[in-house]
Amino acid sequence: MTGEKRFGLGRILLLLGRLVLAGIFIFAAYAKMKPQTEVPWSVASVRTSLAMFAMQVDSYQLLPTGYVSLAAHLLPPAELLLGFWLLSGIGLRFSALATTLLVGLFFAVIVRTYAMGLEINCGCFGPGEQLGKITLVRDGSFLGLALAVTIGAFLVHRAGRNKMEARVSVTDAQRAD
Amino acid sequence: MTGFPYTWRPKVAVGLGCLTVLVLALVWQPGAKAQPESRVRAHMQAAHEGLSIPVKTFGSPSAPIRLDEFSDFQCPSCRAFYEGTLRPMMADYVARGKVYLVHHDFPLPMHAHSFQAARWANAAAEIGRFEDVEAALFDNQESWAADGNIEKYVAGALSPSDFKKVQKLMAGCEPNSHSCPFDAFIEADIALGKQIPVRATPTYVISYKGQKFPAGSGAVSWDIMRQFFDSLLGQ
Repeated sequence: MTGEKRFGLGRILLLLGRLVLAGIFIFAAYAKMKPQTEVPWSVASVRTSLAMFAMQVDSYQLLPTGYVSLAAHLLPPAELLLGFWLLSGIGLRFSALATTLLVGLFFAVIVRTYAMGLEINCGCFGPGEQLGKITLVRDGSFLGLALAVTIGAFLVHRAGRNKMEARVSVTDAQRAD
Repeated sequence: MTGFPYTWRPKVAVGLGCLTVLVLALVWQPGAKAQPESRVRAHMQAAHEGLSIPVKTFGSPSAPIRLDEFSDFQCPSCRAFYEGTLRPMMADYVARGKVYLVHHDFPLPMHAHSFQAARWANAAAEIGRFEDVEAALFDNQESWAADGNIEKYVAGALSPSDFKKVQKLMAGCEPNSHSCPFDAFIEADIALGKQIPVRATPTYVISYKGQKFPAGSGAVSWDIMRQFFDSLLGQ
């Protein structure tokens, strides 16, 4: 495979990886904010869903009560923002890095909770999912994907810059001739 | 002009397509499940043995919020949930008619004495003294969980005459006995829990004006649960 073809394949994989990550984050935010019963979407229904998410955050026994509600109200909008940022592809190195850090944090919290033997709901994609081995494997895979996208974004950026510099130097050389 | 829009439009279209599939998957809800048959059997057996349904509820059934909790008397998280959440909730929102609390037994097989503790609690519920026995069992969990002497703490929670009544009801409920009349109620609670499904204790299901929320599990502080209740009551 030539360098050009490999570069093209890398870009496609990077596109797929970031779309999957964006989908995961947007879906996670949606699942936390959607009405949890058969009521229509409204500001009140979102508030209720976030208050319910706060109970899941609290069950991790990680944050003081005063910070639980704040974290529960900030996290889903942050996930939504990050999802759309990834989807846009703008500043991919930075969005991918932010995603890796956030997924890494989630993974660390889940590993700690599992090690402590707490039998709680994960809350990762809304209520109802019990935290267990499957959660660990799934979130570990998300972390792997986020890391791969971050590394890929940096590599593609560097390759693109090198190409640009090579073109500029060729043009300069032609001008000099 | 750069070619920027032509590069991102297909990517966004693919992304939105994936998102639509995910949202459709989420919107699909399986149909409601029927009431467990074992609950009906328990009621029939109770009638046959001259027992009424043990009252393990707190507050008014007409309260806007209903909380069904599935608990194991020997589980430390259930104790934390009772002491840190249910007790202050009973003193506040249950007493003020905002919440109707329903206790369901879900003794886990890994706890040697939890089924027997549930039998005692059901016997106390039969004479309307569930609240006292529940408090005594959780307050002294470590002690009776160590030696299995549940009777001592039930006796301490009740008046001598009430304790005699409970003791009489507990005839045939020795730890290894299979003829205890309260087993049907406990089994009915377990069957109901399995339908939720309860995978760990404590598990709680909150309903607001008939709308049931997905089950939650693990200990939650009363402050955080109250905020959730307030958001429901403020709707």
